[in-house]
Amino acid sequence: MSTFEALREQLEEAARAFGARDAVAGILSGMVDDVGRALGEEPEIFPVCHHSPASALAMARRLRDKRPSVIYLELCEDLAPLLEELRNCRLPVALQAFASELDGFPAAWAPLSVIAPITEASAEYQAIAYALDTPGVEVVLVDRSTDHVFQWEPREEPSAERKEPEEGEDEDDAALHGDAVGIEIGDLRPGFAELEEHLLHHGKVRHWSEWWDQYVEQPLAGADYATYRQVMVLIGSLFRRLRPERPGRDRRDEDRERYMWTRMREHLAATGADPSECLYVCGAFHAASRVEQFGLSADAEPYEITPRTGTRWSYGLIPSSHSAIEAQFGLAPGSVSIAAATFAKALKRGGVTPFRLEGQKGAAKRKAPKPSRAPAAEPATDRLSGYLASPPVLDGLDESELLGWCVDIVRLARRNGYLSSTADAIAVFETSILLAGMRGRARPTPYDFQDAAVTCIEKDSVPGRRDVRRLCEILLGGDRVGSVGYESLPPLARDVLDRLEPLGLDLTKRTIQRALLDLDADPALASCSRLLWILRRLLPDDAVRPIMGSRELGERSIQESWDLAIGRNQRSIVELGYEGVTVEQVLEQRLRRAVWDPKATAAIALEAVEDATLYLGGRRFADELGARAVELLAAERTVDDAPEVLRRVRRLLAYYRASEPELPAWCEAFVTEGYAHYCTLLPTAFTDEDTGVRQVGAMLGFLFGMESLALSLGCDHAQLELAVRQSHPEAPAKVALLWAARSQLGMASLAELRERCDELLANPLVIPSFPLYMSGFVQALVPFPALAALVVEVMSKAFARLPDAVLLPWLPGLITTLREHARELVPVLVREAGRTFPATLGAVDAWAPPWEASAPGAGAGAAAPAGGPVSELLAARPDTCDAVAALLGYPGGWTETASASGAAGALLVRHPETSAAVAVLLG
Amino acid sequence: MTDGMLRAPAEVKYAEELDWLESIDDSPKPFSWRLSPRMVRLFVLGSERADGLDREVKQKWFGDRSFVERAIVTLASDRGLLLIGDPGTGKSWLAELLSAAVSRNSTLVVQGTAGTTEDHIKYSWNVSMVIAKGQSRESMIPSPIMTAMEAGVIGRFEELTRSTSDVQDALISILSEKYVSIPELDDDNIVFAKPGFSIIATANSRDRGVNDLSSALKRRFNFVRIPVVTNKRSEAEIVRFRTEELLRRHQIELELPPTLLDVLLQSFADLRAAAASATSDDEKLESALSTAEQIGVLEDAILHSRFFGDATLRPETLGGSLVGSLARRSPEDLAILNKFWHGVVEPRSKKDKGGPWEGFLEGGRQAISTLS
Repeated sequence: MSTFEALREQLEEAARAFGARDAVAGILSGMVDDVGRALGEEPEIFPVCHHSPASALAMARRLRDKRPSVIYLELCEDLAPLLEELRNCRLPVALQAFASELDGFPAAWAPLSVIAPITEASAEYQAIAYALDTPGVEVVLVDRSTDHVFQWEPREEPSAERKEPEEGEDEDDAALHGDAVGIEIGDLRPGFAELEEHLLHHGKVRHWSEWWDQYVEQPLAGADYATYRQVMVLIGSLFRRLRPERPGRDRRDEDRERYMWTRMREHLAATGADPSECLYVCGAFHAASRVEQFGLSADAEPYEITPRTGTRWSYGLIPSSHSAIEAQFGLAPGSVSIAAATFAKALKRGGVTPFRLEGQKGAAKRKAPKPSRAPAAEPATDRLSGYLASPPVLDGLDESELLGWCVDIVRLARRNGYLSSTADAIAVFETSILLAGMRGRARPTPYDFQDAAVTCIEKDSVPGRRDVRRLCEILLGGDRVGSVGYESLPPLARDVLDRLEPLGLDLTKRTIQRALLDLDADPALASCSRLLWILRRLLPDDAVRPIMGSRELGERSIQESWDLAIGRNQRSIVELGYEGVTVEQVLEQRLRRAVWDPKATAAIALEAVEDATLYLGGRRFADELGARAVELLAAERTVDDAPEVLRRVRRLLAYYRASEPELPAWCEAFVTEGYAHYCTLLPTAFTDEDTGVRQVGAMLGFLFGMESLALSLGCDHAQLELAVRQSHPEAPAKVALLWAARSQLGMASLAELRERCDELLANPLVIPSFPLYMSGFVQALVPFPALAALVVEVMSKAFARLPDAVLLPWLPGLITTLREHARELVPVLVREAGRTFPATLGAVDAWAPPWEASAPGAGAGAAAPAGGPVSELLAARPDTCDAVAALLGYPGGWTETASASGAAGALLVRHPETSAAVAVLLG
Repeated sequence: MTDGMLRAPAEVKYAEELDWLESIDDSPKPFSWRLSPRMVRLFVLGSERADGLDREVKQKWFGDRSFVERAIVTLASDRGLLLIGDPGTGKSWLAELLSAAVSRNSTLVVQGTAGTTEDHIKYSWNVSMVIAKGQSRESMIPSPIMTAMEAGVIGRFEELTRSTSDVQDALISILSEKYVSIPELDDDNIVFAKPGFSIIATANSRDRGVNDLSSALKRRFNFVRIPVVTNKRSEAEIVRFRTEELLRRHQIELELPPTLLDVLLQSFADLRAAAASATSDDEKLESALSTAEQIGVLEDAILHSRFFGDATLRPETLGGSLVGSLARRSPEDLAILNKFWHGVVEPRSKKDKGGPWEGFLEGGRQAISTLS
């Protein structure tokens, strides 16, 4: 401990000078203790911070020097089998554990997803690459399993904190991780907002990434291993000691440390590895741990690890990106890219050869490093005093690098619509240096450069899609998006890629690709088309998008064209792979799950039948779902879904009639069941206030539209008649519907219906509610299209006679109703209106509504006996009619044609000139 | 020194502080600057304990530090500085502070208007003297910009986008060649800018499209966009700072109750939220609802209570002056304010029985009924 004695005294002196109480002195000297303790421990502790180029660099150097035989890594232990798969991927990718069927967790948490992103510029990747490619080296993941991540979550909260992507992010890439819970090695940030604010304020920087870069990264980039370790543990210890009390979270952190140390001891005991040959890679925060299990020499009881729950976890790799990592872990936009660029630069400058997995895609191959043995362990000396006492020593100005940036940003800006020129490059260069000088830095950081570029190039408006700040981010590394290699994809994703091969496109690319399918010319593409439609059903909207072609019951496309963004949606496909082996199986499972869900309705089941018929083909599965639809319908107590049921069952019936020799049994059962079901519910639906007029309209549509089929299957028409007779609605709209139904059943004539409407219109007390009746009539068009003439008539009268005060408030409602159900209502109405109203403007003046013209004649009720050749023929051969009448049970008997009977006839006989003149006029 | 001036320019008002800063400033200074860039920043943004100064330097402009840094750096570079932002965001005040700190002269100002001519930017002639003595340097009247060039100090151009494009373009040669030639004279006919000369222009982003800058001129300016302050804490700070200054100027002894300041800030925040969700210009107040507007409202109320009241600021007066200041168009603005009063102020006053909102409600109501 004497190594840091001088520093400890100095710090205690400082605490006294500040007049601070024991607490401050305790914290300051405690930090020094932590450093001493962590450094003296075996196995050697390697403290890291996430996305820290300095960590990665120090790791690469240390691995070459020490060449450990076992590496313990702070990463969920159950992710271990995935590490080997990293070889096939282009980094950054994320290791994912996924569970949709939970056992032991609240059902509301499903689906559970944990991701651990891996970037190339990270210490953990260095360690993994070294361990996997060096024979005889083992990497052991020691952190709690993903199952424990959720076991340790407090139950009342929905789940671990989930962050929204920040504004201004490229949504696409930022959303790569979905809503998974992110875990990272070496999360190191001040424990409370005020501390961070304080550090940012006095560091004269804008955000945490910049602070870290300036005060830790840069000074440590060239530092030796001892300094690196001491400083990292010191910072870990500082943030550990300076944090508010949060019992739940603190306990979780400590439990993780106990877990890791227990696992390490178990491994050492099992394998008999030499602790001096091992390296323990953990976050700096955990290196300063004070749990009783810390260290191999500790004699505390091993931590008792709880068994995992019964939840079945699936594992896989999903693509990740720098911006997704930034969004997930609340880092400043661009910081991970800048870290990656810093790492690349440091490698070049420091001559360090990093480790890379054999066969890794995405970057140039580097020479294999020469193995060198570690120098003898040097005694720990105090490197902290120097670090703490001196201001951050920055590299000298790297002029050529800055010049390169300035030239490139101008070029990039010009490509994005800015009017920038070489003069701007000069100005950016100058301004960067001036800004850095003003902020007390010897050389401009990427952040100074960014500010300078914004100052000099950004004018009053942004000409293109990206502003200068974003362009700088792109320039300084840009967003890198990883991808998972074919070999590491789950079977389902590989199957999809294999089956889409006939399209001749490289679907692993991240661009949107257009696929043209001429199904007539190349029938082999039909299977691709089918697969694409299934993917369309299963994947998010933008993954596969049909531009031309559709898939509806009974239709077949001749040509299709698709926009495919499968490479960009790799995550969704990988996650589909957790559900099954082929997309068909996944779809079948999903459909089955949907119809057997406790909340399933008949409409959902019918939709599933339709989907099964459309996408999976074959009758067996559709029949199974259909049978379930019948059950669901029989069990339903409301008629809320009636319109949907009607629409779907009509479509399915039409399809089966056209394509099959006979209807499937479930269809027949559905119609008979539906007929009885809706007949039973009709009287209640008419009176129930909660049931809308549209629902009742749809019920009537089902009953009347399917009646002939239902009757042929043994239903009884009397049931419907009784139901209608039992219905006594009060709401005007439903009354109108009932009238329409009665007229359809022959219980009332059209003339009576018309008369009733006229009465309503004539009654000033009813007029305000007349529009409601109208709404009912409009809905009646669905079940009774034959009523269209009457609806047009009543509507015309309403428009003619209703006062504006009543009419105008109703109009918007009418228009929205018509719009909403345009497909069913509008064609009927428009066709009828076209038939009724004159087509030209000139004809309007002379136009008399047909109902007014026919009114006097129709008043008599019975039709006037017809004259002409037909009646003459019938009169001449009465036997046929008599025989038919006898068959039908009507008494015989003929009326005389009123050719010249009555007073009018006598008058005409007396004055034949009038008749002759009329005959001439009529031609 | 400030005696006899209604409003002293920044370099006069803070003369003593600037002298002191200059005396302790040992960092390198660009050109003929009186203070080093870091000291300029300290003068504008105020000092902190960590700066280790013997005395406190007050913050004079409230906003993000990076704006000030970018502005100062631009002045040290080859380009002019254009501060752009909504009215009342403190652009001119920042420009004044910067010129005062850099060159101890913030009065070399050209005000851009529709009537500004090229003469206002370059030079004009004293006609009677030209008749008497002919054209010479003596009979020439240099513009403030030319004076700034000759002295190597900062010249200011207020509301650049209000002047017409051809006038604006006169700045192009000044900013790139850094000299003005006087073709009327035979010798001594070029005025060269001395080191330290630069231009700070301000432009109102609401005027966009009136007289857009040519791309040649845009290229010669660095744009620094000053956003409207929406942070309540710093806004309260600004309003208090400026109002105290006004009170001192008018030599008024008056207590500014913090609850009333809250009422004012809250109502502006509400009005801004309403304006942000408005779909057409008719549903928006004509005012930009800037911080300067708030200061105006408060000043109005203070003066009113000083001269026509009992020398205490009452919520009634504040309500009346808010309506009076913001109702510019009749009936649109009045209708919006009326709606605001009924929909927002009234519920607040009901919740806050006996508090300042009640008086505020009453005062505003009266003002609305008088105006409509």
